[in-house]
Amino acid sequence: MAVAQQNALLGPPSQSSRTLLRVVILLFIAGAAIASRLFSVIRFESIIHEFDPWFNFRATKYLVANGFYKFWDWFDDRTWHPLGRVTGGTLYPGLMVTSGVIYHILQALTIPIDIRNICVLLAPAFSGLTAFAAYLLTNEMTTSPSAGLLAAAFMGIAPGYISRSVAGSYDNEAIAIFLLVFTFYLWIKALKLGSMLWGALCALFYGYMVASWGGYAFITCILPLHAFVLICMGRYSRRLYVSYTTWYALGTLASMQIPFVGFLPVKTSEHMPALGIFGFLQLVGFIDYVRSAISGRQFQAFLITVLVATFGIGLAGLVALTSLGYIAPWGGRFYSLWDTGYAKVHIPIIASVSEHQPTAWPAFFFDLNILVWLLPAGIWLLYKELRDEHVFVITYALCGSYFAGVMVRLMLTLTPIVCVAAAIAASKLLDTYLVKSPSQTSTSEAGEKKAPKSADKTASPLGVSSMVSKLTIVGAMIVYLLMFVSHCTWVTSNAYSSPSVVLASRMPDGSQHIIDDYREAYQWLRQNTKEDAKIMSWWDYGYQIGGMADRPTLVDNNTWNNTHIATVGKAMSSREEVSYPIMRQHEVDYVLIVFGGLLGYSGDDINKFLWMVRIAEGIWPEEVKERDFFTARGEYRVDDGATDTMKNSLMYKMSYHNYQSMFPPGKAADRVRGVQLPSEGPVLNTIEEAYTTENWIIRIYKVKDLDNVGRDHFSAAAFDRGQKKKATKKRGPRVLRVD
Amino acid sequence: MRFFKSLLSATLLIAGALAAKKSPTERFSEYHTKALSSSPLKLSETSYKSLTSTPRDYSVVVLLTALENRFGCQLCRDFQPEYDLLGKGWVKGDKKAESRLLFGTLDFVDGRDVFVSLGLQTAPVLLLFQPTEGPHAVASKDPIRYDFTTGPPTAEQVHGWLSRHLTDRPHPPVKRPINWQRWASAITIILGGITLVATASPYILPVIQNRALWATGSMFFVLLFTSGYMFCQIRNVPYVTGNGKGGVSYFAGSFQNQHGLETQVVGGLYGILAITFTVLVTKVPTISNPRYQQVAAVACGGTIFLLQSALLSIFRIKNGGYPFSLPPFM
Repeated sequence: MAVAQQNALLGPPSQSSRTLLRVVILLFIAGAAIASRLFSVIRFESIIHEFDPWFNFRATKYLVANGFYKFWDWFDDRTWHPLGRVTGGTLYPGLMVTSGVIYHILQALTIPIDIRNICVLLAPAFSGLTAFAAYLLTNEMTTSPSAGLLAAAFMGIAPGYISRSVAGSYDNEAIAIFLLVFTFYLWIKALKLGSMLWGALCALFYGYMVASWGGYAFITCILPLHAFVLICMGRYSRRLYVSYTTWYALGTLASMQIPFVGFLPVKTSEHMPALGIFGFLQLVGFIDYVRSAISGRQFQAFLITVLVATFGIGLAGLVALTSLGYIAPWGGRFYSLWDTGYAKVHIPIIASVSEHQPTAWPAFFFDLNILVWLLPAGIWLLYKELRDEHVFVITYALCGSYFAGVMVRLMLTLTPIVCVAAAIAASKLLDTYLVKSPSQTSTSEAGEKKAPKSADKTASPLGVSSMVSKLTIVGAMIVYLLMFVSHCTWVTSNAYSSPSVVLASRMPDGSQHIIDDYREAYQWLRQNTKEDAKIMSWWDYGYQIGGMADRPTLVDNNTWNNTHIATVGKAMSSREEVSYPIMRQHEVDYVLIVFGGLLGYSGDDINKFLWMVRIAEGIWPEEVKERDFFTARGEYRVDDGATDTMKNSLMYKMSYHNYQSMFPPGKAADRVRGVQLPSEGPVLNTIEEAYTTENWIIRIYKVKDLDNVGRDHFSAAAFDRGQKKKATKKRGPRVLRVD
Repeated sequence: MRFFKSLLSATLLIAGALAAKKSPTERFSEYHTKALSSSPLKLSETSYKSLTSTPRDYSVVVLLTALENRFGCQLCRDFQPEYDLLGKGWVKGDKKAESRLLFGTLDFVDGRDVFVSLGLQTAPVLLLFQPTEGPHAVASKDPIRYDFTTGPPTAEQVHGWLSRHLTDRPHPPVKRPINWQRWASAITIILGGITLVATASPYILPVIQNRALWATGSMFFVLLFTSGYMFCQIRNVPYVTGNGKGGVSYFAGSFQNQHGLETQVVGGLYGILAITFTVLVTKVPTISNPRYQQVAAVACGGTIFLLQSALLSIFRIKNGGYPFSLPPFM
């Protein structure tokens, strides 16, 4: 890539050939961006990844099958049993509608392509567009011809963005990052030109963004912040007024069309900065007008009165509306960004998600590599010029890096601006050190070396004269860029291309072994249970069960009802006597758990168990206590030393039921926790094992029906056990069929 | 002499028994009048025993604590003011004692035997003794223990815990005293700040409007956050840890974790890299002497190369399988 750019710079300055080169380079970048996201398809197969994408996929299928209006009014009674979910009104429809439209267009063109393949390949396809949007955005920042191309290349392959957009990762972020970057480009364009048209376009894409991803609040806060900073710097202009008010008015109207968003833009605190700046701009605009009309002395008195009055009234109004309950205080997820200890205390369900954890520095380096130190360099260079649009980059970079430091998943919103700033820095370096002959183009290189000393003392931009330094610096830069490319490829291939539905492991001889327990279990459910059999599992697996097994679930990754999740947590963490009535009340037929002890798979339910306990404790503090799951010395144990509460909990029993039979007596070991298990396994009375997958990753239990002769399950089970012993004595070799 | 001694102890015993024999209602009113003047009650071993003796028609909350410095119980000292606040507020809001709840504090120094008899190894312990007779009587006469696992609780948290257990009784809310000092200092600071800005604005304005200062600040901010500062803040990670062999381990050996020092090292590396880079772009081309310029360019290039190599080698400590490296730190 770098070589291609050099050619573009060194080549003849013909306009058309440059444009051609640019188009070719951009096409190559888009190709590289798409190709590097296909690892998972090549290694495994064309499959939807992880958890949330399975819901999106299911919703897309519903949309394609039933049409848009049915989709809009969709009430889903197969999730959150028995509550159901108003799905059409509680999702961001942008992603599904996008792939639905693509599907119908392709059908109209008589290209018979499966909806699943569209969903799998949507994210890579949009990554090419994101690279193009980054190119456009960067070109607005600088006059350097290579910066945009570099930014596009960075954006195309930066792991921070790839992490959420590999093939199969069919999530909202897949299209949202393109929309984010493109909205910002349109905003900059509108601001530079003071154009209502571009402002309206910006609002349009903002509306599309709102329809696609909850992260739209980032735009809603960054644009007002940019406007505010500009005003504080004394850079208020008619251009700012026109572009901001156009964007705000149209964008807010557009965003209110989404049922899930509805009246939030005028009711919640996340949206208040945008509204506040809108009002502030009116005020500033008014003052600006008055200043041109009246004399200076009067103006000062006028200014102070107006400012104090407006500020006082505004603040009082805001406080009054908030205390009367018309404006909601900051949402929990949003609030936890400021008060970082908040989530852990008040909303364990948010704190329990691994992507809401703070980011350690290796994650930054892993996701951005050299860009992470090119970013501050780029910021410094932008300060040299500091036009309005540069203020935007700086504001965005500051906020973005703070957010990314607090929450791992927000690395995604930081990545685009890092690419832009780093590309500006890198292109500046390349431009400086790649120019053929500095500042003296007419004279020969050998003769002029001494001459400029006296002549050019006053002019500062001399340029680089020595060939050695040019070669060293450019050579080193090419080395870094090439290393960046290989780093990105390595990271993508090693870290971000696993579908997590299918696991891969290496055999001792180096060959790949596929572990396909998830799909095995879901397939079993699909084929062996009634169509309306309710499955209880921890919420992580809800979307997958809905998508792959097509069975109703109690809770899923939507997590809209904390109490319902806590109910499941309580059922999992209580004794059987407590759990059984809960399961009966919720008509549970099967319980599904994930157990990694045999294989050493660490993401299993015993490791997540404490979160279930914590969430249940939040609702029933007297019945479920986290303390009881720790030993007196404060250890979380599953072996002989585990507490009684732990050993009697349904989750523990289900995980280790019959597990001892896999090992010689007394040798049972848990390979995740690395401990020896007690020789006597737990006994289950109210549920029975229905299915366990090949590697024991998924275990499914059937909830027993009420006893035929009215005994309670414990005596019935005890009776059965007694019978079995006698029966096995009497019975001879097993006879399968008697004719 | 011996006779007198035994007589004395006998009378004391009888007196003690008499005290214990008092009806629960009498006992309550006695302690409640004391509580009105100072709640929570400062208990001794005997008063603890008489207060918690059965039968009782009232509830008691007792904080068993160890406040003296030599015990080194930080949690006790952190929780004590909150507990005092709760006890005081409750009695104040419930002067007629409709909730029939008493608050007491027993220090280890005053009641060593109580600690031993309860088999307590740690402090603080907060016990709630429910009534054994009367309308709110519960079946078990054993106290309920508050769980101190999540650091020192606030008065409101304990209040919530009490309210859950003492149903259908009034729960006077916790009233925090207005922190006059804080308000006064805040107002003073704000007024002082305004005055300072007003008077010193000719000197401050150039500083605020100084572009280089803002640029440095922004760079510093970005470096801080991209090198894991927030992680250290949120997780309270140690600055460095021992490596188990008596030495010091500067880098946590895992990808998901880091030490406080790492933020400084990595942030510093990023910072020097970025500054060298900007020097290379902005300053080096303006050097007029070609030889100096060449030396400067090569020096900057070398610095970047060296630091990038160091950065990669540090990253390989964190991520064992990372395949890329640059000389000299291979």
